[in-house]
Amino acid sequence: MNEIIGMILAGGRVDELLTLTEKRPKAAVPVFGIYRFIDFVLSNMMRSRIDNVGVLSQFRPYSLMRHIGTGEHWDFIGRKRGIRILPPYKGIKESDWYRGTADSVYQNISFIEEFKPQYVIIAAADHIYQLDYRKVLAFHKEKHADVTVCFTKSKLKNPWFGYGIIGKNGELVAYEEKPEKSPSDWVSMTVYIFRTELLFDSLKQNANAESHEFGRDIISNLPGKCAIYAYKFNDYWSYARTVDMYYQTNMELLNGKVNLNQWQVCTNLIEGCALKDRIPARIEGQVVNSYISDGCIIKGTVINSILSPGVVVEKNSEIINSVIFHNTVIRKNAKLKMVICDKMCDIGESAEIGTFGAEIPSKEFTNLVAGGITVLGKETKVASRARIGANTVIYSGKFVGQGEIAPGSVIR
Amino acid sequence: MKKDIIALLLAGGVGSRLSILAKLRAKPAIPFGGIYRIIDFTMSNIANSGIDVVGVLTQYKPLSLMEHIDNGRPWDLFGKTRLVEILPPKTGEEISDWYKGTSDAVFQNLGFIEDFSPEMVLVVSGDHIYYMDYNTLITCHKNNKADVTIGLIRVPMRQAHHFGIASIDRNGRVVDWAEKPRKPKSNLASMGIYVFNARMLKTALRESARKGGTDFAKDVIPLLLKEKKRIFGCEFNGYWRDVGTIDAYWNCNMDLLKPDSGLNMENWNIRTNLFSRGEIGAKPSAYIGKDARIISSLVSSGCIIEGTVKYSIISPGVIIERGARVIDSIIFHNTIIRKNAFLNRAIVDKNVKIGANVNIGSGRLRPNITLGMNLSTGITVIGKNTIITDRVVIGKNCIISSNLNFSKTKTKYIQPGSTV
Repeated sequence: MNEIIGMILAGGRVDELLTLTEKRPKAAVPVFGIYRFIDFVLSNMMRSRIDNVGVLSQFRPYSLMRHIGTGEHWDFIGRKRGIRILPPYKGIKESDWYRGTADSVYQNISFIEEFKPQYVIIAAADHIYQLDYRKVLAFHKEKHADVTVCFTKSKLKNPWFGYGIIGKNGELVAYEEKPEKSPSDWVSMTVYIFRTELLFDSLKQNANAESHEFGRDIISNLPGKCAIYAYKFNDYWSYARTVDMYYQTNMELLNGKVNLNQWQVCTNLIEGCALKDRIPARIEGQVVNSYISDGCIIKGTVINSILSPGVVVEKNSEIINSVIFHNTVIRKNAKLKMVICDKMCDIGESAEIGTFGAEIPSKEFTNLVAGGITVLGKETKVASRARIGANTVIYSGKFVGQGEIAPGSVIR
Repeated sequence: MKKDIIALLLAGGVGSRLSILAKLRAKPAIPFGGIYRIIDFTMSNIANSGIDVVGVLTQYKPLSLMEHIDNGRPWDLFGKTRLVEILPPKTGEEISDWYKGTSDAVFQNLGFIEDFSPEMVLVVSGDHIYYMDYNTLITCHKNNKADVTIGLIRVPMRQAHHFGIASIDRNGRVVDWAEKPRKPKSNLASMGIYVFNARMLKTALRESARKGGTDFAKDVIPLLLKEKKRIFGCEFNGYWRDVGTIDAYWNCNMDLLKPDSGLNMENWNIRTNLFSRGEIGAKPSAYIGKDARIISSLVSSGCIIEGTVKYSIISPGVIIERGARVIDSIIFHNTIIRKNAFLNRAIVDKNVKIGANVNIGSGRLRPNITLGMNLSTGITVIGKNTIITDRVVIGKNCIISSNLNFSKTKTKYIQPGSTV
């Protein structure tokens, strides 16, 4: 029996990250060098002594499953601690693909029941913040709440957030998911604490509805019908819903807004392309205001950039304001500016990426790729002396030959 | 469980010539190359050679070693048929005592060997830096129908007296053997790597023990030679270093920074245990600041570098503040180097705090008062957890012990060659 158990919503692909989520859910997208998005919520759960956690996943879960492994990296291993991946399943009666976040929890009610918890905390796997959920639970108890929803203040006006209107005593007066015009500055962090019975009732009621999303279909219906409160969180928070937001989040690390040394985020260091068996970064070139991971070999110049493990930067190449994932090789004299480069890319000698046309927007992804960001999918191979304009998106596994790709292009 | 071959790794060494680096830990547990420990090389060689049962013989300060080896998983020596077992001295059996030497340690663990009824036993020491496929040695052993095969390497003649020296005939058979001879007959030195016929090893150890023998090189090999056993040498041509002195340790680390040194870790698949007890989160990637300057160095995760680092090896979690200069140095985990400090040829152990404007390793070259010529090339060593207050000046060839706090002693100047 547990007082509280955690359910992590990790199924979403999030199309707005384009090629970064082409083959993995957003929860598994690398961030800040050695982490993946899900590490933040997992570390929060662990630090909050939530000992049993279910991870709801559906879209291409392999990288996520391997990353989570036995859960030992977040200390979820032991007689009374555990983490389970909960993929869609076939049973005797109810069986189907998860039709939404609420449905994914609904289909796993039996998992929750095993622990007989008084409370269930439901949190999305793709937000970056550090929060001790015990504070939220204490607030929840103090208010005698049925539901507590975490909110944070954001000046960003965009169509991806859910907004709350919060009363004087912290009660949630209204909730609107992805409204056209934002009714307040309070944005949902997709962290909910439910009294278990109320959760089950709400999910059962929703089961026969048309749509099954927590924000849109459950939370928005609850104000006025039960004791629902808003917990206000005032520290660093990032959602990174779009490529542009993802890029900004990385730059916030470089601007010192995120203190990873203090946060002590846990991750899996030994699976896949992680740190395992890599020697410390070998730095022979010039590095300014950047994060460099183990296994990197830097002979060129790296400025304001974040490099995941195993990135090779050859002589006379320049990496400026960029985010480079694992095992990518940047050959001699190449120049990258504001590039997000997925794993295992090969950038040929003297290639130039993102160095021209920053003012020309993406033809297809106007809202998502802006301000001169170029995105290269996993295992992109760029020929030597190729020139790729800014605001270009190249999907995974493509070969870009010599010659010029116009700014704002999309290559599928 | 039946195995063709098992390995016994001798990790009990005191390493007294490494001074304070080996004061709080066994020599094989000394950090190397930023994130490794010396034993990682032997452990990885064993695992990479496909040997999957390893006994690690420990005696001297084994705790950090045991924690490091853990359940053997970093080397994939973990599973139903793969294992690492720590074999400390024990009581309660017929023969049981502190280990009196290398062969005595194995002798006291014959029971461990018998559990696997192997054909061959690989005995290796855990304190060398090298990359070797032991299958070469094993093949050599089988082809020669040998009783013992010893890994040999050519060393400079003037250093030969530090080693066990073999003379071999043209078939590779060992015809003469001398441990640390005053006048070496050859420069073929023992690497401390032996493949034994398991059955013969048992008999030999019993007999040697009866005669009071405790050491492989001093007692067992001479005994076997006298008995005309088939002892063969297998010559190794790769990179191999005994890091038994501070100089050798420093030079070997610096070889990591030289592309043609032969110490090519990128291709060696050396594994280590990345977990460290008591640390909750993973260390983030190394942060290199706006005014940092790094020349030809290794920098590990969790470091925050704002100063200058030249030709140095920096372990995880080290902070080097603005204006500080670290040159030709080896800095272990979580050490903090404050503003404008200057370090030249320093080896700084874990969790040391070096104050602002501290100057280490400048001035006259005078051999160390306790280690003499073993510490005379200008290297200064600072022990674990020591706190050095602002503006302290420490000369070359000094040894500063662990757990010292300069604010208590109010010392401002340590002259070259001192031991504190």
